Amino acid sequence: MTTATKSDELRTAYVADLRRAARGLPKARREELVAEIAEHLREALPVGADEAETRNALDRLGEPGQIVAEEYRRLDLTPVQGGPVEWIAVGMLLLGGLVIPVLGWVIGAVMLWTSRVWTRREKLVGTLIFPGGLGAMVYLVAFAAAGTAETCSSMSSPGGPTITHCTGGGSTASDVLHIVLAVALLVGPILTAVYLARRIRRPAV
Amino acid sequence: LWDMQAMDRGSALAQLRRGVIEYCVLALLRDGERYGFELVKLLGAAGVLASEGTIYPLLARLRGDGAVATTWRESSTGPPRRYYRLTADGRRALEEFSEDWRRFRDGVDGVLAGGSVP
Repeated sequence: MTTATKSDELRTAYVADLRRAARGLPKARREELVAEIAEHLREALPVGADEAETRNALDRLGEPGQIVAEEYRRLDLTPVQGGPVEWIAVGMLLLGGLVIPVLGWVIGAVMLWTSRVWTRREKLVGTLIFPGGLGAMVYLVAFAAAGTAETCSSMSSPGGPTITHCTGGGSTASDVLHIVLAVALLVGPILTAVYLARRIRRPAV
Repeated sequence: LWDMQAMDRGSALAQLRRGVIEYCVLALLRDGERYGFELVKLLGAAGVLASEGTIYPLLARLRGDGAVATTWRESSTGPPRRYYRLTADGRRALEEFSEDWRRFRDGVDGVLAGGSVP
C-alpha cells in the first residue's frame, strides 16, 4: 500500500493549479502543456523526493500563471478578461427575472452566450441552474403558496348543521417537498452566479 | 524611486531573456537532438532561464514555426520522451541571429563603456 507523500501532494496541487490557470487555452494544447509539466516534474524529482526538494523544483518551474501567460503570448491571444458587461450578465441572470419577469433573465442569458469570457460548459451551467434565476423561485413559491392555501366554504341550512367544506391544504410530505424545492431554487442560482463571477477574471498576466 | 528602478531593470532583463531564449534553444540543438528536460537543465545552468516552466510554451512555438522537429523515443527510465532537433529553417534563423547578436552586443558594449560606437 502506498500513501501519498507531502511531495505527491504538492505536485498534485501544482498541476491542478496549472490546469485551472490554463482553462482559457485550446483544449488540445492545455492537455499537452499539463502533460509536459507533469513529465518535467517526473524528471526533475527522484522517487521519494522530500518536501524541500519538491518545493525547490516547483519554485524553479515558476508560477502556473506565468507559464500560461507565456503560452498566451505565444498564441498571440489576449487572455479574455471580463468587464462590466459580464458583471451585468451575471446580475441579470440572478436578479433580472425579479426586475423584469422572464425577459430580465432572458437578457442575462443572451449576454452570457454572447460573451467570450465563459466556456461552453460554464454557459450551460449558467443557463440550466436555473432558468429564471431567483425570479423563478419567487414565482414558484408564490404559486405554491396560492395552491396550498386552504379554501373553505360553509353551507348552512336553516335549522341544520353548518357544513364546512375545505379544499386544498398541503400534506406534510408536499410541504417538505416545497421547502426543499424553494431552498434549491434559492441556493442554485446564487452558487451559479458565484461560479460565473469567479471566472470573469481569467489568469493574471 | 529606487524600487521603480529595480523593477525596470528586472523587466529589461526579462525582455532581453524573452528575445534571446529561443535562439539559445536553437543553439543547444545545433549539434544534435535533445529532449525537453535536458534543454531546461542546460539553459538553467547558463542562467538564461527565468522560470523553467516557460520553456514549454516556447518549445511549442518553435514547433509551430517549424524551427524544430520532434520525435518521440522510448526512454529506459520512464515514459517516452519527445526529442527536438533543428530543421533547415531553424538552422538558418540561428545563423542570422548569431550574426545580429554579435553586432548588437558589440554596439551595446561600446555605448556602455562610454565610448563611441567603433
